[in-house]
Amino acid sequence: MTTAIATTGLVKTYGSIRALDGLDLTVEAGEVHGFLGPNGAGKSTTIRVLLGLLRPDGGRAEIYGRDPWDDAVKLHRRMAYVPGDVELWPNLTGGEAIDLLGRLRGGLDPARRADLIERFALDPTRKGRTYSKGNRQKVAIVAALASDAELLVLDEPTSGLDPLMEVVFQDVIRQAKAEGRTVLLSSHILAQVEALADRVSIIRHGRIVQSGTLAGMRHLTRTTIEAETSRPATGLDLLPGIHDLEVSDGQIRFAVDGEHLGVAVRHLGEFGLRSLTSHPPTLEELMLRHYGDELAASASGGTGVLT
Amino acid sequence: MNATMMGREASSSPAARSRGAALDGTGTLIRFILRRERVGLPAWLLGLTALLALFLRALSELTATEEQRQDLYRIMSGSVGAIFGPGYGRDDITAERYVVGVYGLFFFVLAALMSMLLVARHTRAEEQSGRAELIRSGVVGRHASLTAALIVAAGANVLLALLLASTLTAYGHDGSDGLLFGASVGAIGLVFAGITAITAQITEYSRTAVGMAGAVLGVAWAVRAAGDMIRDYGSPLSWLSPLAWANQTRPYVDGRWWPLLLSLGLAAVAVAVGYSLSARRDLGAGLVAARPGAPAAAPWLRSPLAVVFRLQRSSLMWWTVALAASGLLVGGLGDQIADPVGMSERRIEIFGGSVDALLDGYLGMMALFLTVISGIMLVLGLQAVRGEEVEGRADPVLATAISRWAWLGSYLTVLSLGVVGLLLATGVATGLGTVLAGEDVSYVWDMALAFLGHAPGVLVILGVAAMLYGVFPRAIGVTWVLIGYSLFVALFGTVMDLPGWAMNLSPMEHTGRPPLDGTSWSGTAILLAIAVGLMVAGLAAFRRRDLETR
Repeated sequence: MTTAIATTGLVKTYGSIRALDGLDLTVEAGEVHGFLGPNGAGKSTTIRVLLGLLRPDGGRAEIYGRDPWDDAVKLHRRMAYVPGDVELWPNLTGGEAIDLLGRLRGGLDPARRADLIERFALDPTRKGRTYSKGNRQKVAIVAALASDAELLVLDEPTSGLDPLMEVVFQDVIRQAKAEGRTVLLSSHILAQVEALADRVSIIRHGRIVQSGTLAGMRHLTRTTIEAETSRPATGLDLLPGIHDLEVSDGQIRFAVDGEHLGVAVRHLGEFGLRSLTSHPPTLEELMLRHYGDELAASASGGTGVLT
Repeated sequence: MNATMMGREASSSPAARSRGAALDGTGTLIRFILRRERVGLPAWLLGLTALLALFLRALSELTATEEQRQDLYRIMSGSVGAIFGPGYGRDDITAERYVVGVYGLFFFVLAALMSMLLVARHTRAEEQSGRAELIRSGVVGRHASLTAALIVAAGANVLLALLLASTLTAYGHDGSDGLLFGASVGAIGLVFAGITAITAQITEYSRTAVGMAGAVLGVAWAVRAAGDMIRDYGSPLSWLSPLAWANQTRPYVDGRWWPLLLSLGLAAVAVAVGYSLSARRDLGAGLVAARPGAPAAAPWLRSPLAVVFRLQRSSLMWWTVALAASGLLVGGLGDQIADPVGMSERRIEIFGGSVDALLDGYLGMMALFLTVISGIMLVLGLQAVRGEEVEGRADPVLATAISRWAWLGSYLTVLSLGVVGLLLATGVATGLGTVLAGEDVSYVWDMALAFLGHAPGVLVILGVAAMLYGVFPRAIGVTWVLIGYSLFVALFGTVMDLPGWAMNLSPMEHTGRPPLDGTSWSGTAILLAIAVGLMVAGLAAFRRRDLETR
C-alpha cells in the first residue's frame, strides 16, 4: 500500500498562536481517513497546507511523495477539494461553477456530473448568490466528485446538508472508495466518520493525539460490561484495568481497558455467568476521552459533573 | 424585563404598537453603523472638505486677472458651460462663483455617491450577506435598519454641508452663501440616499442597487445639462432634474433657499416609497426575482484567462462605454473650448503654450486626464482579486491545476489588455467627436495613437497595485494616492508651476502629451519595462505568500 499523505512535525504559526504544533498525519492510498477534531483544532489549516495554499513554518508535508507547496499544480491534477464554507461567484450559475472548477483541474466526466446533480437534487441554473449554504456545498461536492481525482480532500463537506443528502453523500463516498480513490474526510459529525472511515486521526491543539483504525482505537479504550452471575462475583476489584465497578444483587457493571477484557470475562465465568452485554466505546466516547477535560473545565467552574 | 415590555405593549393601541415595533432597535443600529463607519465616513467628509480647499486655492490663481476671468467666462457659457451648470455669475467671475458654479458638479456627484454607498452598504449589502438575518432575529423592528441607515446618511450630509460652509468661510468668502452651497450639496446627498432606499428594495444585490441609483444620477445630469443647453440659466426641462435645484440656489450670485424645498420634498417622497416597498417584501428578497441562468458553462470557458475575462467582462464593458462616451463629448466640444479668442495666457500655457495648436493641446490634456481615470478601473480590478482571495473563492480555484502565476497573471493580462482596448476605443471616440465637430479625419488616427501612448503610464499604476498585492495585500489602497496625484498633476501641474521632480513623480508625465507633441517612444519603452517589472515582482511575491481568508 502506498502512502497518499504524509506529514511530519508540521508547524504553522500565526503570530503567537501555534495553529499546527508538530502535526504527524499519514493517509494510505485507497483508504477513507477520518480527520476529527473540534473547531479551531487545526483541521482546516492542515488541509490548506496540504493544498499548498499555506506554507508551513516547520516540518514536512508530502502528497504522493511530493511537496504540496512546490509541486502544487502537478499534485492538484490528482486531487479534488471541497471547502467547509463554499463561496460561489455571484453572477455565475452553479452549473457554470461546477464546469469551471472541473475544467481548471483538467476536465470532468459529464455522465458522472449529470448523475451527481440528479442524486443531490441540485438546480444548476441558479446564480451563485441565490443558493443556500447547503446548495453551495452541493455545488462543490459535485465539482469534486465528478472529476477523476485520486485523492479527495473534504473539509467538513456536508455542513448545511440535510439528513437525506447526508445519506446520498455517504453512498457517493463509498462508491469513490470502491473505485479505489483516497479520501481525507475532515468532520465533526461522528456518525459520518464511523460509517465511512477505515482509519481515524484525532487532532487537538494542532497535534494528532490518536490515529488508527476504529477497531484498534476501541481496543485502546474501555469497553463497558454488564453481567449477571448466579453467585456473587468477588475479586473483580483486584483485577487490573477495571474501572467504575458497581455490584448489586448479582448485577455487575464495570468498564474495562481493552487489553484486560479477556481476563475480566474469564474471571466472571467462574461465578456462573447468566447474561453478558458489552458495549464497545463509541467514537463519541473516544472523543470525550480526549476532550473531556476541556468540557469539565468549561462546565461551571469544576463542580465535578464530568470526571 | 420581558414581562414589563409585554405589559406595556398590551396597554398601548394596536397602531402605536406596530409603529413602535417596526422601529425597535434603531438607536442601537445607528451606533453600530457609526462604529463600522468610523474610518470610512470621516474619510469621505474630510476628503470632500480638502477637495474644496484645494479648488479654492488653485482657482484664486486662475481668477486673478481680468484676462483670466474673460477666459473662464467662455467655460461657463454655451454648451461647455451647460455640462457643469446653468452658469450663474459668469458675467462677473470670482473664485467662489467659479468654484460653486463649475466645480460644484463634482461635489454634487460625490455627495450623491457617498449617500448611495452608505445606504446600500447598511441595508441591501447586509441582507445579501445574511448578516441582516442575525440582526433581525434580535429585538429589531422591520424598518429599523433602513431607518438607521437613512438617519446616518442624513447626519453625514448635514455635517458635509457645515464642513463645506466653514471651508468657504475660512477662505474669506461669505458665510451665509457658503452655507447655502453646503446645503445644496447636502440636499443632493439626501435625494440620492432616498433613491437608494428605493433601489435597495428592488434588487437583491447591493452593487445593482448602487448601479441603479447611479443611473438615476446620470440621467439627472443629462437632463439638467440638456435643459441648460436649450436656454441660458436653465429651461423648464432643467427643472425636472434634482441636480438643477442645487444649481438654482445661486450661491454667491443672489442666493435663494426655496429650490431646496423641492430636494427635501423629493427625498421625503423617495424615502416613503422605499418604506412601502420594503414592507411588501421578504427579508433577503428583491422585488425583481432572480432569473435562472445557464445549467452548464460555455465551451470557451475553460482556461483561467477565459474565467477571469468572464468575471471582469461587464466591468470592462461599462468602463469602456463610459470613457468612450466622455471621449466623444470631449472631442465634440474641442473647437469651442480651444477657441483662442479671449483665452488667457495661463490657459494657453495649460494647453501647451502655442496659439496655433490649441486644439491639439486641449486634446492632449484630455487624453491624459481620461487615461488616468481609466486607472481607477485597474485598481478596482485588483481589489476584486483581493476580494476573491479574502472571501474564499480563490481557494477552490487554486486547489485545481491552476498555478498562482496563472491565476494572478490572468487577472493582470485581462486588465492590461482591457485597458489598452479601452484606451483605443476612447481614442477613436475622441477623434470621431473632433471630426464630427468639423476637423480633419486624421484626428481619429491621431487620437487613437495619443491614448495608446499613455497606456504604459497607466500600466505602471497597475504594476504598483500588483506589486502591493503580492507583497503587502492590505496596502493596495495606497495606489489610490498615486491615481489622485497623477490626476492632480495632469490638471493643475502646469497652473501651479510644480517643479520638474514633482511632475516626474507621476508615471503619466513621461510620454509627452500627444497629439501636441509626439509620443516619446523611449519613455514608453522604459515605462513598459517598469510596469512589467512591477507585475513580475508582484507575481513572484504572491507565489511566496500564504493565501489569506477572512
